[in-house]
Amino acid sequence: MTFQELNSKMVEATVAPGQRLFSQRGAMLAYRGEVSFTPNMSGGQGGIMSMIGRRVANEATPLMTVEGSGTVLFGHGGHHVQVINLAGDTLYVEADRLLAFEGTLEQGTMFMGSQGGVMGMVRGQVTGQGLFTTTLKGHGAVAVMAHGGVIELPITPQRPVHVDPQAYVAHHGDVRNKLSTALGWRDMVGRGSGEAFQLELSGNGAVYVQASEEKL
Amino acid sequence: MGAAGGYLRSVAMFRLQGSKVLAVEMTGDAVKAKNGSMVAYDGQMAFKKLSGGGEGIRGMVTRRITGEQMTVMEVRGQGTCWFADRASEINLVGLQGDKLYVESSNLLATDAGLRTGTTFTGLRGASQGNGLFTTTVEGHGQAAITSDGPAVVLRVSPQFPLSVDPGAYIAHQGNLRQSFQSGVTFRTLMGEGGGEAFQIRFEGDGLVYVQPSERNTIAGDV
Repeated sequence: MTFQELNSKMVEATVAPGQRLFSQRGAMLAYRGEVSFTPNMSGGQGGIMSMIGRRVANEATPLMTVEGSGTVLFGHGGHHVQVINLAGDTLYVEADRLLAFEGTLEQGTMFMGSQGGVMGMVRGQVTGQGLFTTTLKGHGAVAVMAHGGVIELPITPQRPVHVDPQAYVAHHGDVRNKLSTALGWRDMVGRGSGEAFQLELSGNGAVYVQASEEKL
Repeated sequence: MGAAGGYLRSVAMFRLQGSKVLAVEMTGDAVKAKNGSMVAYDGQMAFKKLSGGGEGIRGMVTRRITGEQMTVMEVRGQGTCWFADRASEINLVGLQGDKLYVESSNLLATDAGLRTGTTFTGLRGASQGNGLFTTTVEGHGQAAITSDGPAVVLRVSPQFPLSVDPGAYIAHQGNLRQSFQSGVTFRTLMGEGGGEAFQIRFEGDGLVYVQPSERNTIAGDV
């Protein structure tokens, strides 16, 4: 296991020669052994093209490459950290929630509109996620940050899950998501229940929800 | 926990998932929850805002006047609904006909069968920085209250009265009398106070919920 949760807010990562890690810049707390941290201009993997892609998509968080041999402690802003293990599926997460991830994962950006068309774009705007989101694909572990504790809710075809967009953290698996609105006349006259927009996730996978409606 | 409400009727099942997320299982019944505190649900759910705390016109007017407004929504449906509020810790309180006194800002969710109201607290309320009134929850069922950090439940019995810092107090239940205690001395007036000039004193028989954190109160400064 590359990432080990020390407590709810810190993870310990093991780095071995030939195994790279990516982490958010400045998220290192302490390290043991011979480890080097290189700021990473391109903000992740891939060549110049993916870098431009990320810049355009505004999903370019400053990342650094962690290489060498030893152990590194990561934590950031006192946020809760959740380690998610991927076994071949894709994780969808906002770039600024990424604390660290293994170099074996393939990083990409996804256009919201490609999932759900126009509603997908509206969804990005409503949830404050923007029009793009980051994807990580392959085998490996990811450490994701959230405000408050995180719960994992399984999604099965019989049991679609609705999530408050502000409490949504990440999801993985073969999941379709769309913005469902429960806008009624009450919301128009300012008498809404505060739950007018929800993300509806259906398919097969899991969604991570934080115990708070605050952004990072 | 399910046995507590099970014999009455089909009541919503309250369950903690971790310490900061409340999961409520519903089978066509309803719960009242703080506006906007839903984080996720599965199944079918409908959310409706209850104007003025959902106590009818009279309750609404009282709440407006007393400043104990709370925006409450009614959640009705089938499935599981998860609630959380700004990553604060959640405590479950089971009520068997007794009364729970809680600050409206600390009340996260209640069974729809529970009645909520307001009562006068006197000087205590003012010292807490919460105004002169507090919310009461009464009936049979479960309520979820939030606290900043994990709350401790302290038992008060006739032999053992309890004094609590107003800023750390969140709720109490049972047959308790409360009085306001002040340790204001000459030193306090000189600005040399220990920061604990006021306390709420509980006497009788019941439970007091205390959080490991202090709200900003007037009392905290002296």
